[in-house]
Amino acid sequence: MAMAEPFVTRQQSQFRGPSAKHHLPVSLQTRLREGNRPAWYAGSLLAVLTGLAVFGPALAPHSPLVPAGAAFTPPGHAGFLLGSDSIGRDELSRVLYGIQTSWFSALAVIASGVLLGGLIGLVAGATGGWVDEVLMRFTDAFLALPGPVLAIAVVAALGPSLFHTLIAVGIVWWPFYARIVRGEVRSLAARPHLEAARLSGASRWSIMTRHLLPGALPAIVVTASLDVGNLILALAGLSFLGLGAPAPAPELGAMAARNLSYLLQSWWVPIMPALAIFLLAFASNIAGDFLRDSLRNT
Amino acid sequence: MNPLTFIARRLGAAVVILVILVAAMFTLSHLSHTDPAHAYLGAGASKSAVAAERAKLGLNLPITTQFFHYVGNFLHGNLGVSYRTRNPVTQDLAEYLPATMELAFYALLLALLLGLMLGVASAGHWRGARILKFVMVSGASAPLFLLALLGILIFYGHLGWLPASGRTSMPNPPTGPTGFLTLDALLAGRFNMLINALEHLLMPATVLAIGPAVSIGRVLRGSLVTVLREDYIRTARSKGLRERAVLLRHALRNSVGPALSMTGLQAGLLLAGDVVVEQVFAWPGIGYYAAQSIPVGDFPAISGVTLVLGLGYVLINALVDILQRLADPRVRI
Repeated sequence: MAMAEPFVTRQQSQFRGPSAKHHLPVSLQTRLREGNRPAWYAGSLLAVLTGLAVFGPALAPHSPLVPAGAAFTPPGHAGFLLGSDSIGRDELSRVLYGIQTSWFSALAVIASGVLLGGLIGLVAGATGGWVDEVLMRFTDAFLALPGPVLAIAVVAALGPSLFHTLIAVGIVWWPFYARIVRGEVRSLAARPHLEAARLSGASRWSIMTRHLLPGALPAIVVTASLDVGNLILALAGLSFLGLGAPAPAPELGAMAARNLSYLLQSWWVPIMPALAIFLLAFASNIAGDFLRDSLRNT
Repeated sequence: MNPLTFIARRLGAAVVILVILVAAMFTLSHLSHTDPAHAYLGAGASKSAVAAERAKLGLNLPITTQFFHYVGNFLHGNLGVSYRTRNPVTQDLAEYLPATMELAFYALLLALLLGLMLGVASAGHWRGARILKFVMVSGASAPLFLLALLGILIFYGHLGWLPASGRTSMPNPPTGPTGFLTLDALLAGRFNMLINALEHLLMPATVLAIGPAVSIGRVLRGSLVTVLREDYIRTARSKGLRERAVLLRHALRNSVGPALSMTGLQAGLLLAGDVVVEQVFAWPGIGYYAAQSIPVGDFPAISGVTLVLGLGYVLINALVDILQRLADPRVRI
């Protein structure tokens, strides 16, 4: 690897330099391979969260729906690590199930936002002209509307359910990604290596998939990972307002809302699920920060 | 471009966005899973009564005609009748809106102040900047209802310092002329009422302000760090100015632009969060009204609230753009 060494360091110095705005495009894999620690921290943190979401229900000591003891048992008593709720269900088990719903819902909406927004941004940025104009006006109109407020109205119209919540949030969440991808693609399209690709007679499709998409990937990954936390919070808010799954389902936001009246007498019943959302959002925000540090300067 | 032309164009864009919002609400009202005729008449209504009600509501007309009726009604301030309260939605909104406007105003003000403090404090390499960053990430990760619940538990339940619900606990609050309880109390010369209203505002406004404040602070920090690298800052430092003067007098003024745009964007989050916060604190505003309407599927009420909140969001953003343009003529949108 002796020959490759100087090249990599030059890229590195350009990339890390304080004023190097137009760094050479370095592929995602190269940056991850260079043993940078933040990326590994981010990866392990996200893996732990996903593991918790996948195996959480298997770890749950009780059923999330059937009472397992006395109502309002404080945390740490009678085998209830996080206490029991108003009809004696185990809070820990309900929270573990709720984490699964929260985490995978957030990932699903992110994925749909990245796919839809990314596609629109890629087509707009790569095609230019009137296609770009039309697609971006459309995107801007969506961006100018208050997304979270609109999402409330969409679920209220379709009828409260988890699936409708995901659809509603998906509808308002993609425009942001379209903007970012389009911006990245436009700035990449003006670079010499893209000009070379065009001159060599590469088709539009191969330019899009082999040159523009990989170049825009780091920005998408950073934006998406910093966004997971926001999305967890937005979905929790809708669930809190009663727009998620109906009553006995262990959804974190709804658990906090339905037990609001017990706050002063048995604080753990509404607080524990809210804390779980906080920890989930906090961990994914930290992971996003690490990922940004590893992929971008400043 | 002439500033007046700019303002006219920006307001024109706001009108277009509003038309889109109205069209979206119209579409949603047709996707809605409750049939308005059934909702008004109740479950036991006869078939002929439902058919008559549908004709009366204009639900049998062609869809385009219905849309023009909808837009016409909207322009006349007619947003339909609530399924739940049986009042015209406009009448309900007029009753609940002042409380929300007061809360949102104080929350936005607080968010700006807190955001400025966070941004300046984390950009200047002061001691505790790391702790501040940790606090900021935590604040941005906390769901609104967690902050609200903890606030009530600590400041109401344990310490008893602040009230937990409503706008005031005193009898005969002033009813006019502005609808802002703090302002009305001041105008009426009732200072203990003013203090009482501010005590009730403090917790919900702070809970609403924390998220936007963190975002504003982050953006401000970013632009401050960039501006602090500029030559004129080096000049200011080499003149022997103290770091505080450099930061506050020279750098801050050129850095607030992005933070202001962020404030406009965060207003959308703040307005959505308003529904949650009003629900927890039983704050008698349109968010509370919406939260009460959601469980019973009262779509006219919910769409009315959405239109008002959307209008507020669009206007705040237009105002932010115009202010930025007036402050810095180089701004292009």
